[in-house]
Amino acid sequence: MDALVNVTGLRKSFGSNEVLRGVDFAVGRGEVVAIIGPSGSGKTTMLRCVNLLERPTGGRVEVDGHVLCEQLDDGKMQFADKREIRETREHVGMVFQRFNLFPHMTVLANIIEAPVAVKGVNKDHAKARAHELLEVIGLGHKADAYPLQLSGGQRQRVAIARALAMEPAVMLFDEVTSSVDPELAGEILLVMKRLAQEGMTMLVVTHEMSFAADVADRVLFIDHGLVVEQGPAAEVLSNPQNERTRAFLRAVLDRAPMTTDEEAGEDGGALEEHLAHGLLHQEPGESGKGAEAEDE
Amino acid sequence: MDWQIVWESVPLIWKGASTTVSLFAWALLIGTVGALALALMRLASFKPFVWFAVFFGWLFRGIPLLILLFYAFFALPEAGWVLSPFWAAVLAFSLWTAAYQAEVIRSGISAVEPGQWEASEALGMSRLHYMRRIIIPQGIRIMVPPYTSNAMTLLKQTSLATLVTVPEMTLLTQRIFSNNFKFIEPIFALAMIYLAMTTLLLIGQALAERAFRLRV
Amino acid sequence: MELDWSVVLRSWDLLWAGTRITLLLFGLSLVLATVLGLALALMRLSRFWLLRWFSIGYVWLFRGIPVLVTLFFAFFVLGRRFGLTPVQAGILGLGFDAAAYKAEIIRAGIMSVDPGQYEASEALAMTRRHYMFRIIIPQSIRVIVPTYMSNTILVLKATSVAVAIGIVELTGITRQLSNSTTQPIELFTAAALVYLALTTVLVVLQGVLERQFALKT
Repeated sequence: MDALVNVTGLRKSFGSNEVLRGVDFAVGRGEVVAIIGPSGSGKTTMLRCVNLLERPTGGRVEVDGHVLCEQLDDGKMQFADKREIRETREHVGMVFQRFNLFPHMTVLANIIEAPVAVKGVNKDHAKARAHELLEVIGLGHKADAYPLQLSGGQRQRVAIARALAMEPAVMLFDEVTSSVDPELAGEILLVMKRLAQEGMTMLVVTHEMSFAADVADRVLFIDHGLVVEQGPAAEVLSNPQNERTRAFLRAVLDRAPMTTDEEAGEDGGALEEHLAHGLLHQEPGESGKGAEAEDE
Repeated sequence: MDWQIVWESVPLIWKGASTTVSLFAWALLIGTVGALALALMRLASFKPFVWFAVFFGWLFRGIPLLILLFYAFFALPEAGWVLSPFWAAVLAFSLWTAAYQAEVIRSGISAVEPGQWEASEALGMSRLHYMRRIIIPQGIRIMVPPYTSNAMTLLKQTSLATLVTVPEMTLLTQRIFSNNFKFIEPIFALAMIYLAMTTLLLIGQALAERAFRLRV
Repeated sequence: MELDWSVVLRSWDLLWAGTRITLLLFGLSLVLATVLGLALALMRLSRFWLLRWFSIGYVWLFRGIPVLVTLFFAFFVLGRRFGLTPVQAGILGLGFDAAAYKAEIIRAGIMSVDPGQYEASEALAMTRRHYMFRIIIPQSIRVIVPTYMSNTILVLKATSVAVAIGIVELTGITRQLSNSTTQPIELFTAAALVYLALTTVLVVLQGVLERQFALKT
């Protein structure tokens, strides 16, 4: 397995509170890994250590060949310099629970800001690509709208497009449906499912068990800062080995599950049609769905 | 800078401190009473009261305090009302304080969550009762920072009374340097004394905020 | 009490000359205060403790002493040392004083921006310089405008204190005129009306700016 993300011995303390107590995991190219666990288990912190939004207090984090941090023999932590961290982040996309869109800029401006400023993409090319992405996620008509004019489900889809515009190698999702009305969560999950089908490497912290069952290749169950169980999604979710995993799943699955195939929000089935055009750039020779002459 | 002169200036300037503090205290007292009256008028059902309160605030916050001061000192005597420099200053400062603190009180009260009013009414409390027991206590907590901030400004603005010959600290400092033509030392001493006074007020503010904080 | 308002008309060109000086003092000291205040705000948020503490000290000092004392310092100390005209000293004094307040206002505005904006910017690999100017500061302006404008109104009124260092701005000329014509009521009322007009313009401007910078919902 070609590991895009490799984390060993990850520890993180906030003051005297040790949130992560030695976590190991890896994500292979093209894999979709779901991280589940109770509140306070450390799953969000774990995710944020991958792009170093949190600085681990122990362990080693390697992303896309870059060693972002490692623990030396004497126990001290060594971090990559600012420049390398920033450059690594160009290849790691992140979608936040609270969207974090730039409210003073239009949807289009949100999406092109980073590619233009960080990767030096030509502005017109960036706009064209942004329009493409917006079309595919079903928001082509919202390019000039402002974030506060959109619903939660729409905002999160824009946030996904903004991250995708940087053409990342791996995408991190931090409980991206938790701040959204339940009936709007489906449209977000549809986009994520499509992304997974197109082969994006994804690390998803989520409460949506049916999504995990449907889309994830592997599932990690984390509790009190340690990985309690991990394995193929189908196995962990339907036949957990560990008692704590079983207890957690029992508590969570008591709620009515939502599948991504259900009528998803206001855009519903129309969204599926848009998504069929493909979120990621196609390799030449692949199915030409919606692939008009694309600029690089 | 000659520290000897700084050292010698302090007691001379300090003689004006009681006048400074006196101006401050009187103006704050009268001004706060005025502010309460204005705030009540602002919330009254009798419209002319509301208009008066709004007009008063607009007028006395819209013109410089120094103009008010000169008005009290130069213009009032022409109208037949002669006040000593000290009381003319107190009058001007009081009107100014009333206008600003009335705004503090008004926005403090309106900053109390609407839900508090609704809950009180739903519980059948009389307006007088819940104003006294629910709204005002919470309002006071919100008002403490801007109120003390305005008070601090008032303390500093007492220095303007020097321009109408009130013998507070700044005037005494001017006498020193017009005598010996040493400027930086007396000004430094004066600045340090004001700084000490305002810092004391800042500490007082922190303590007041502590006293009124919500217990978690 | 006999009031003769014609004195105002007769003195109009002198009052206008004074008003022009008031506006000059106001405009230039405001520019100085804003630039210096922005610098102080950024220093306060800096990684370097020396810059942070300088900023903290500056704000404590200039907010702790009366603007009159700052003007005396600018006039009697800086003015004599560097050969400044009274107006130049006045601009410096007023500017230094107001900068302390602007610094706190700007800092509060920057700090009010949702931390998530920083995180999204960092996750998108933007440099700090880039996102401070493109993402953070533009959003902070919206929060800064109201308090900045109310402080600006105070700066306008503070120009009246410049009379203490001999500058013949509006208040100064009014005092001189009222002494020579012994008609203080009419003249000071006129001056008050001019100030009210100027502050009202600023209040209206504040409303316009608040609406201009509001987020589109």
